[in-house]
Amino acid sequence: MIGLNDFMIVSVVLFCIGLFIIVSKKNAIQILIGIELMLNAAILNLVAFGKYDRINNGGQMFALFAIVLAAATTAVALAIILNVYRQYKTIDPDKINQLKD
Amino acid sequence: MNPTLPYNDSQTVTLAIIAVVLPFAAFVVNFLLLGKSKASGWVSALAILASTVLAANVFFKVWDNHTIHAQQVWFTIGATKVQAGILLNNLSVLMLLLVSVIALPVHIYSTAYMKDDEGYSRYFRYLSLFCFSMLALVMVDNLILLYAFWEMVGFSSYLLIGFWFTRGSAIIANKKAFIMNRIGDIGLLTAIIILYTQFNTFDLETLFGNQGLISLSNIANGEWVSALGSIPAIWQYIAFGGIFLAVAAKSAQFPLHTWLPDAMEGPTSVSALIHAATMVAAGVFLLGRFYPMFNEAELTVLAVIGCFTAFMAATIALTQNDLKRILAYSTISQLGFMVMAMGVGAYASSLFHLATHAFFKCLLFLVAGIVIHQMKHIKDDNNLNIDPQNILHMGGLRKKLPLTFIAALIGGLALVGFPLTSGYLSKDGILIQAFDWSDGKAGILKLVPYVALLTSWLTAFYVARLIVKVFFGEFRLKKMNPHIHIHMGDGGWQYKLALVFLAICCLFPVFSYSPVFYEDAWLFKGFLPVNHLARENMYHVIIPVLVVILSVVVMYGAYVAYAKRNSWSFPQTGFLYRLSFHEWYIDKFYNHVIVRFVMWFSNALYWFDKNIIDGFVNLLEKIGVALAGIAAWFDKHIVDGLLHLIAGIVQAIGNFARRFQSGKIQYYLFSMLLVLIAVFIFKLIWT
Repeated sequence: MIGLNDFMIVSVVLFCIGLFIIVSKKNAIQILIGIELMLNAAILNLVAFGKYDRINNGGQMFALFAIVLAAATTAVALAIILNVYRQYKTIDPDKINQLKD
Repeated sequence: MNPTLPYNDSQTVTLAIIAVVLPFAAFVVNFLLLGKSKASGWVSALAILASTVLAANVFFKVWDNHTIHAQQVWFTIGATKVQAGILLNNLSVLMLLLVSVIALPVHIYSTAYMKDDEGYSRYFRYLSLFCFSMLALVMVDNLILLYAFWEMVGFSSYLLIGFWFTRGSAIIANKKAFIMNRIGDIGLLTAIIILYTQFNTFDLETLFGNQGLISLSNIANGEWVSALGSIPAIWQYIAFGGIFLAVAAKSAQFPLHTWLPDAMEGPTSVSALIHAATMVAAGVFLLGRFYPMFNEAELTVLAVIGCFTAFMAATIALTQNDLKRILAYSTISQLGFMVMAMGVGAYASSLFHLATHAFFKCLLFLVAGIVIHQMKHIKDDNNLNIDPQNILHMGGLRKKLPLTFIAALIGGLALVGFPLTSGYLSKDGILIQAFDWSDGKAGILKLVPYVALLTSWLTAFYVARLIVKVFFGEFRLKKMNPHIHIHMGDGGWQYKLALVFLAICCLFPVFSYSPVFYEDAWLFKGFLPVNHLARENMYHVIIPVLVVILSVVVMYGAYVAYAKRNSWSFPQTGFLYRLSFHEWYIDKFYNHVIVRFVMWFSNALYWFDKNIIDGFVNLLEKIGVALAGIAAWFDKHIVDGLLHLIAGIVQAIGNFARRFQSGKIQYYLFSMLLVLIAVFIFKLIWT
């Protein structure tokens, strides 16, 4: 049977992959994907821990909200990336450093 | 003015003051209004004419009458009230009249003499200033004013000696005159201060009048006792020394006489007025004013110095070739006579000689002026390179300048002391009284009258030499340069008027109805309280006869020597000749010893100033600079360094911190991650 630990392991692996993508990739879209992976790792945790709240299903509910919010933020982020691309003709976050002192 | 003065007297005082102030007014008018106008000569001449008239008026009111003394408070210091005013007694009114009467013909003469000069109006300004100072000098009644005008006389003399200030020699001469007069001024100032300390007053009448403080004071037991207290007697002698210095400087007596011959650099008319007749007489006048102060020993000093000066100057005059220099030395000689007369107690004769000498010496100088003027014309007309004052170039001028010749003859005879002239009366008076005086003396003092007698023969010789060389024989310049053109004449009426007037004043009737006996001269009597000099001994007969006969012989000898036998001359190599020609080496001595010492001393002081005083200042400066350098270094390296260090640390920290703000978000994220991991690791380790 799949236990809480397995979920946790998957979640950690997912989170680390997301984090690695965010830190290492040179493309804003990939970073966005990394963020989604980390978000999903967190949601997986919410769902996994949701088994301790069978009556209200708080974890499941919160996971749903998080997924919706994630979709919304992804949309906003994509829009920002699109505008950034228009402005700088690149989406490499290393090159967008005009706020540097 | 003093309200207690009777009306007549206060009128006299007013007249006297106007007489004194008029030349000053002329000076002011010339200075402020006339500029370079030719009118200035006549302004000055008119002023002095008016002064003369007023002075004559004052003279006849005061002479042999009572003394008039008017004064008012000048200023007050503490409890001392200093009075200023004028004192009119026989001495001052005589001098007042004498100065103005001499100044008048000189002014008139000068209007012609200085006619073509650049500084015509400047000349008259100075001349008026001089007349004012001199007239004021003889009239003032207190020592401070006396000193002030004494200085002013010296100063205007300085201006006039250096009148042709573009000539280097004139500048040197006036500097010399000024410095020598300053030496005298110091003496006078010292004497004044001592007198004030002793008697607590500056007033001349209080000090020197009948029953004045001086006559009531006496020297006893080494103390100089007066009504007001006593001080050591040495001060009395110091005061005398000061007065003697003043007299020697102004009247060109022995140690300080060398300025007078050099003063001949001024215009000749100036020499006539200032350096023959008036200013140089100021010293004798001062002796007259201070006369009651001198005691037996001091008078003896005066007699000896006067006698020595007279003799020395006469010997120098024998060999000089410069017309004016001869006259200058003769002036010194005659002044020596006057000082000697003061010393032997012939107070009246001294002042008498002062008056007669003023006329004939002024006359002789004016004559010299005409001769020099004519020689200068010849020189300029023919472009000759000669000294117009050298008598060796002259000769035979009596035909060319007849009136000048007669005037010179009268003046010369008066100077020799020939009968029928005024000089005879005054000079014989001095000689006779000198013999009377020496009767009571012993030793070397016996010599004094004999030296004076010898001097009067020497006088006869150099006067004869002068006149013969200038007016007799052939005109040597013509002989040397046969082709030169000569236009000569006595000159305009201004010259003639002055010469005739002064020549008349050189004759006996002006001073005495008797041509033979000096005791009858009104001027002589005016200064004797009682007629104590009866013709009591044989001197009164022998001396005049001796003087006259030997003078005639000497003069004839000179005439023969210089006019008839031109080829024959006195040996010019002997020691005595050189001594005389080089003026007894006194000037050389002064230059070599005193001037050199003073120069050496001033150089030493200069060195001291430059090296020690300046060196000290420079050292201070260097120390200051060094300290400032240290401070600057400290400021730069320690204070600034500290601040720079702080700034550097801050900057280093800033630079270090800045490196994190690279603008790379992933880097930020990574570092956050690292920090987080580090925190966790720490937490793990610590717990």
